[in-house]
Amino acid sequence: MKRLLNVLLALVMVVSIIPIATNAEGTTLTYWFWADNDKYAATMREMIADFNATNSKGTVIVGEQIPWDGGSYSNTLLQAAIGGGGPDVATFKLTATPSFVNNGLLENLDPFIEKWDKKDEINENMYNVMRGASGTDSVYVMPWNVQVLYVYYRPSMYKEAGIEVPKTYEEFLEACEKLTRDTDGDGVTDVYGFGMRGSNGGQEPWGCFIYANGGTFETLDSEESIKGMQDYIDLFTNGYAPPTAPNDGFSQVIDGFQSGITAMTIHHTGSSAQMIEQFGEDVDAFIFPAGKGQWTSMGDTENVMFSSCEDKEAAFEWLAYLAAGKGQETWCSVTGNVPVASSVQGLERFQNDRFMKVSIEGQSVAGILPIRETTTSWISEWPSIIQQALLGETTAKECMEELQALLWE
Amino acid sequence: MRKTYIKGNKEKTFRVLFLYLPIMLFLIFLLFPFYWMLVTSLKTSQEIRMLPIVYFPSSPSLDSYRYLFEQFNFLHPLRNSLFIAVLTTIISLTVSTLAAYSFSRFRFKGRNFFMSLFLLNNMFPTVLLLIPLFTIMRSIKLLYTPYSLVLSYTTFTIPFSIWLLHGYLSDLPLTIEEAAMVDGASRPKAFLAVLMPILLPCILATGVYIFMQSWNEYTFAVLFTNEKSRTVPVALKMLVGSFGVQWELISAGGVITVIPVCIMFFFAQKRLVSGLTAGAVKG
Repeated sequence: MKRLLNVLLALVMVVSIIPIATNAEGTTLTYWFWADNDKYAATMREMIADFNATNSKGTVIVGEQIPWDGGSYSNTLLQAAIGGGGPDVATFKLTATPSFVNNGLLENLDPFIEKWDKKDEINENMYNVMRGASGTDSVYVMPWNVQVLYVYYRPSMYKEAGIEVPKTYEEFLEACEKLTRDTDGDGVTDVYGFGMRGSNGGQEPWGCFIYANGGTFETLDSEESIKGMQDYIDLFTNGYAPPTAPNDGFSQVIDGFQSGITAMTIHHTGSSAQMIEQFGEDVDAFIFPAGKGQWTSMGDTENVMFSSCEDKEAAFEWLAYLAAGKGQETWCSVTGNVPVASSVQGLERFQNDRFMKVSIEGQSVAGILPIRETTTSWISEWPSIIQQALLGETTAKECMEELQALLWE
Repeated sequence: MRKTYIKGNKEKTFRVLFLYLPIMLFLIFLLFPFYWMLVTSLKTSQEIRMLPIVYFPSSPSLDSYRYLFEQFNFLHPLRNSLFIAVLTTIISLTVSTLAAYSFSRFRFKGRNFFMSLFLLNNMFPTVLLLIPLFTIMRSIKLLYTPYSLVLSYTTFTIPFSIWLLHGYLSDLPLTIEEAAMVDGASRPKAFLAVLMPILLPCILATGVYIFMQSWNEYTFAVLFTNEKSRTVPVALKMLVGSFGVQWELISAGGVITVIPVCIMFFFAQKRLVSGLTAGAVKG
């Protein structure tokens, strides 16, 4: 009997130790991410392995790659989270923030960021953009990496036109005029100052003009915004942009710049490799200069923690690893995206890349379009409304009033 | 003699112009996407983006296929898809054949109501059922296993298959089984030994329909599976990123995905046509 009791006691002790042993091994967290190609997916797996081997709590991240599927990733994530079976942590797009926050699915990161020793490494503007996206005063989305729009220019063309890199918005407009030239004297313009994007996706570079005049996306029908639109129309009607500008999309503006038809155009680091391949040292960049205001567009990828996550401290350690740790450096080095943490931005490899450097400078004025139910339709309507204004069928005022109504009413 | 020759010639020209030529154009229209998929899978990524368009690669390469199997581990989703499609087909066919037999041979209360209910099930948009099914799968611990997909697919394939088989069974005269039963066969024996051989073309056609539905399905697969249980359509979608598409890999994956379906069609096409048209026309 005594022996039996001893065995039972030993069993109870073993059973009681098991949970402690499991706890010492750390939590397992599921992380959903999308990758633009196989190389990026492999990089993410290496980062996960590195984090699993080095983190302080013995946390094990289990990575699950989910297809981007033209943006349906956010829907898949939302459905899984609402269904109660989503991941603990996930890669995220800012535009999806309202639907997740309104359903109470995301964890408020304020308390974690507050006590995070690297919180100041991320520009305050980034946190403000994250707050704006959620429509609250809290940060629900952890910054990870961005693409910031800047102006590409050809130093040789600047030299030929006898001008310096513009420091103000007015100087930029002057540069557009002076860079527009008839190089062979046949009376026909050969080089246009500005590669204007009047078609799909053009709302982002266009926003720079609106903000430079003191306008905003919130007040598209204000005098300042209308003045910005008028400047945009003038660039086209004065012949400082190619005649095809109202129909030019991404490929056309990049091709125009690469073939020497335009002297400046606006895009991000996504095209810098091909620019360097084409022009070598004869291509550089500057952030769209300030006028009464300054703004540039930001492409974004973030990470979120779900409120259903059971070990939030461990999850935040992973978010921090991605935002300002080794994960930040590895991911941005491989993908060419712009890091958000100042310690990583300061690394030689990023500082030696002139386009990366300009992007980092631009982060303080970078922003996104207002996230509303109307935003998607506004973006798809934008080209036809702008085209009418560029072709003189509507005035700048009429155009901006229509855009304001479409976005805000 | 000359007149007959001219007439024959005219007839030939007429046939070429109005029969062979349209058929040829139609075939080109139909087969070109497959040709393009095959050719793209044999090109290098540079050749894919090259202008003017390269209609046939200068040196066809199997690198994409090699990459898919060696680096991308394409065999894993392929195995999962095959397992799910075969299991769904077996379960759906068994259930729907028995159900269709009952609906066509027995008159019971609520028979018409249930038949209408089966149709109703297919009228719901899949997206509407996604979250409820996801929650159910999670509660019964099937989420992220292949069985969650098998169960989901059968909820859609069984009702439609019952209708398909019911149409054919209703056309079969009762006297066939009755004769077997008069000769001493039990109902199950009469069903298995007499009806089943006659039903085979229709069962085959229904089986192909079920297999293709589960082989190609994406919406449920992306939500109900994880990396361990991924199926082919989801794995292929991984090759489409937000900034670009790995065309050579996605085409190679497409070619591999089409092969099992083509083999099935090759063996089943004769019976498939007779099976699909069976029960469609009542005499």
